[in-house]
Amino acid sequence: MNPSDIFSLAYDALVDRKIRTILTVLMVVLGASLVVVINGLSAGQSAFLEKQLSSLATNVIYATSGQRSYYGGASSQSSLILNSVIINKLRALPYVTDVVPQYSGSVTIDSYGNVQRVSVVGMDPNKLTVMLPNLQYVDGSTLSPNDRSAAVVGDTIANPPGATTPFVTVGQTLKITYSYTDSAGKSQQEVRNFLVTGIMKPSGNTRIDNALVINPDAANQLLRKSGRYDSLLIQTTDDTYVNTVQQEITDIYGKNIGLTVPQAFLQVRQQTAQGNAMFVEMIGFIALVVGAVGIVTTLYNSVTERIREIGTMKAIGAQNSSILALFLVEAALIGIMGATLGLAIGVVGGYAMTSFPSHTGGAGGPGGFGPGGGSISSFPPIFLPQDLIKVWLLSVSLAVGAGIFPAWKASKLSPMVALRRE
Amino acid sequence: MVEESTKIDNIDLKETALAVKNLSKIYDSSAGRVVALDNLSFSVKKGEFVSIAGPSGSGKSTLLNMVGALDRPTSGHVYINGIDIFALNDSMIATMRNNLIGFIFQSFNLINRTTVLKNVKLPGTISGMSPSDANARAMKILEALGIADKATQKPVNLSGGQQQRVAIARALVNNPAIVLADEPTGNLDTKTGEDVFDMLKTLSHKFKRTIIMVTHNPELAESTDRSILIRDGRIEKDVVN
Repeated sequence: MNPSDIFSLAYDALVDRKIRTILTVLMVVLGASLVVVINGLSAGQSAFLEKQLSSLATNVIYATSGQRSYYGGASSQSSLILNSVIINKLRALPYVTDVVPQYSGSVTIDSYGNVQRVSVVGMDPNKLTVMLPNLQYVDGSTLSPNDRSAAVVGDTIANPPGATTPFVTVGQTLKITYSYTDSAGKSQQEVRNFLVTGIMKPSGNTRIDNALVINPDAANQLLRKSGRYDSLLIQTTDDTYVNTVQQEITDIYGKNIGLTVPQAFLQVRQQTAQGNAMFVEMIGFIALVVGAVGIVTTLYNSVTERIREIGTMKAIGAQNSSILALFLVEAALIGIMGATLGLAIGVVGGYAMTSFPSHTGGAGGPGGFGPGGGSISSFPPIFLPQDLIKVWLLSVSLAVGAGIFPAWKASKLSPMVALRRE
Repeated sequence: MVEESTKIDNIDLKETALAVKNLSKIYDSSAGRVVALDNLSFSVKKGEFVSIAGPSGSGKSTLLNMVGALDRPTSGHVYINGIDIFALNDSMIATMRNNLIGFIFQSFNLINRTTVLKNVKLPGTISGMSPSDANARAMKILEALGIADKATQKPVNLSGGQQQRVAIARALVNNPAIVLADEPTGNLDTKTGEDVFDMLKTLSHKFKRTIIMVTHNPELAESTDRSILIRDGRIEKDVVN
């Protein structure tokens, strides 16, 4: 039989059992799209973390009071108060070139009636480059470290994703509201106006892009910190001394101080993300295998139902190989349709998932400019052609593989036995 | 294909469409030994219309399965156009069935999801005939059988008689040496059955087709050129009508 005849017969057979074919194709679609979405998001996340890594200084240690996990939460153990005494002591350590104190919190900002909840960091804006050596500002920006009413705004605050007009521009006044509970348990608000003197260009660091930087004294007052810093950026001579300095600080303060090297943190995050992606990818693969089992079931049923047809075809001269090919082509068609649709849905689904609005505000807390996280929308998916081809081939191969057993059964049927079946 | 024989037991195979020689089929099972065919021998001339009749369980269907190479005998030979068909391997047997045998089944055995035309040209498609040749040949036969107007319809939408005509057309498309018809009127009403039988008769007498028809209907059997009556796996009578 010619390949085109086999294709035509296989296609007719699938069309004849539309609903079953569609359901089987859907199984493959589900598996393929799941793998595509996971691949895309994983690649996007990797690229995102890579960007974060490359944007960060390599000679910085991030310190908080008490032990701090890689995932950001400070422990309840916070016996060490980060104040000027500690800062001076750290500055005196060998290989430490600078210590930048930070206050941090979460505030509401109001610009012409538009409101955002954002992180606020009180620090010398000139020292932002300690953390991000390549940080740049939009034209017209000026940094006024001693001006208690000046604010520098991150790119995501100034230009919220999806917005057609900027939230704030240089020279504009922002109303900042800090809400807290006083010692009597009453809710209180501290409201102050700040002048936006600078806007940062996209830095590649989510936390910084989502933050507002103000003068440390102003932050101390606004956030009611009483001179207790939330975190310190410790700059070493170069990255080769990071571990040495980290060890020195640990020797002095033990578990009373939490130290994180942002680069190491992000690397661990990246490894964790890769591990998670592999795990979820396994789930996708299992979904594909389930789809393959569906194909086995569908084709096996099809062989049983078409047993007389197979018998007739063999009686009139069809070779075993033609019957085998017929069912394998049916399996391949299911695989091709499922894989192709799965790829399309996976790509669209990946973008759809990342188009949900992200939660950019309120990320401050005690962490300040620590190594940032990022919501799912921070990682635009990346669909590499080679990954898509790999998933497509895997789906089609699994489908054809699943078709082998039913096809083999059909090809080995005795025509006499098949013709006798009702 | 293996070499064609020319003579067996003084039978001129050049004039013979089918020769059956000492054919036996024995089934061994836990229930015991069943001799379905017991050393049968006969031959059918080219263009002859032969009926094989007999009561249920006589072995006529087993004989048809052997002649159609759907099953292998325990012993003996079947020659079609001089070819010892059981000397062939399974793949060659399939090719032989495609080239030399046309099957007509009691329940038509058409593929209902596809058109009449595709059904009729299926043996041509299997043999590797070009689509245009297969189409032309199938249409020619459908015209001869008076159902060319049904070519694009699905068999399931046709009457029983029309479906059997489609099956006959399919059996003829590769111009086979013999046509094997297993109770071809068994699923049809009397009138339609007679029409189909007349059509087979015309094919044999007018177009010199060799037809071997299994039937349990004695009247139909007597209306063929020759009747072979089988009982207990043996030929009881071989009558020229």
